[in-house]
Amino acid sequence: MDNLNISATTQTPAIYFDEENQTLNMIGECYPENITKFSLPLFAWLNNYLMVLETQLFTVNIELIYFNSSSSKMLLDLFDCLQSAVVENQKNIVVNWIYDVENESALEYGEEFKEDLNNLNFNLIEKN
Amino acid sequence: MLDKLYNFKQQHDQCGVMLCFSGYLSQELMIGIGEVLRNKLKQEEDSSMVLKIFSVFVEQAQNIMRYSADQIPPNSEEDSALGSGILVIGKNQGHYYISCGNIVDNHKVPHLNSQLIKLQQMDKEELKQYYKEQRKKDTPQDSKGAGLGFIELARKSNSQFEFSFQPIDEHFAFFSFKTIL
Repeated sequence: MDNLNISATTQTPAIYFDEENQTLNMIGECYPENITKFSLPLFAWLNNYLMVLETQLFTVNIELIYFNSSSSKMLLDLFDCLQSAVVENQKNIVVNWIYDVENESALEYGEEFKEDLNNLNFNLIEKN
Repeated sequence: MLDKLYNFKQQHDQCGVMLCFSGYLSQELMIGIGEVLRNKLKQEEDSSMVLKIFSVFVEQAQNIMRYSADQIPPNSEEDSALGSGILVIGKNQGHYYISCGNIVDNHKVPHLNSQLIKLQQMDKEELKQYYKEQRKKDTPQDSKGAGLGFIELARKSNSQFEFSFQPIDEHFAFFSFKTIL
């Protein structure tokens, strides 16, 4: 399976998989013109990965400073996909929503996702 | 035109305009303008406020790019269309305002109008629930984003926004939208 490694740009986050720690990281800002096109490689990779994932813990760290409304929809699709893998295929997944305390809306957005994802282990983590 | 330019600039200054753009807008242009805006705001505001203003700016700019009826069609599939409009960001009487305007097809006016009135009447909690409901739905067919832009704009300003449609001719109207923060 190809490793996932997307470099950050001004308008899109870095997205990479750390194989050693079985951790997917998404860090930066996200407001591309076409979010569907941007996120295609991520979802393609994730679908493959979830098929080969066994009992080990899969961690997803999301650390976004800013994202636009269409990217918010993409994030919900991502979390839905992870939640389905937990509910339907008993995968062991944890999502860490990492926010900066000085960025008021980052925590608020994280809380709103958490409210709608009752079957996903979703942590809100203040950045040090 | 040349002798009116100073006058034009003075009018902007009187209204506290920090940035103004009029014409065809691309994603690249938006990113550039956004960077200037953030650098300028950083000198005066904390990071939460800078991001709030920036996020309103992005939603408004992407609205123009996606929904202006005046578009330059893309050269190839890789390219995107360029929508024409006007964007104004400034500070007046202690409040920031972010305004955008573009032409729209007349037949789209009633739906947009009723949608915006609905958002104006919602309180904070209703807007949050509506946002979450809409986010769960599949993307509307005529929407190039997720159809969440105006809800996000309403939420950011606690429904402090104004809008109008000015008739142009039998085909088009001019849509103006102003967010106050």
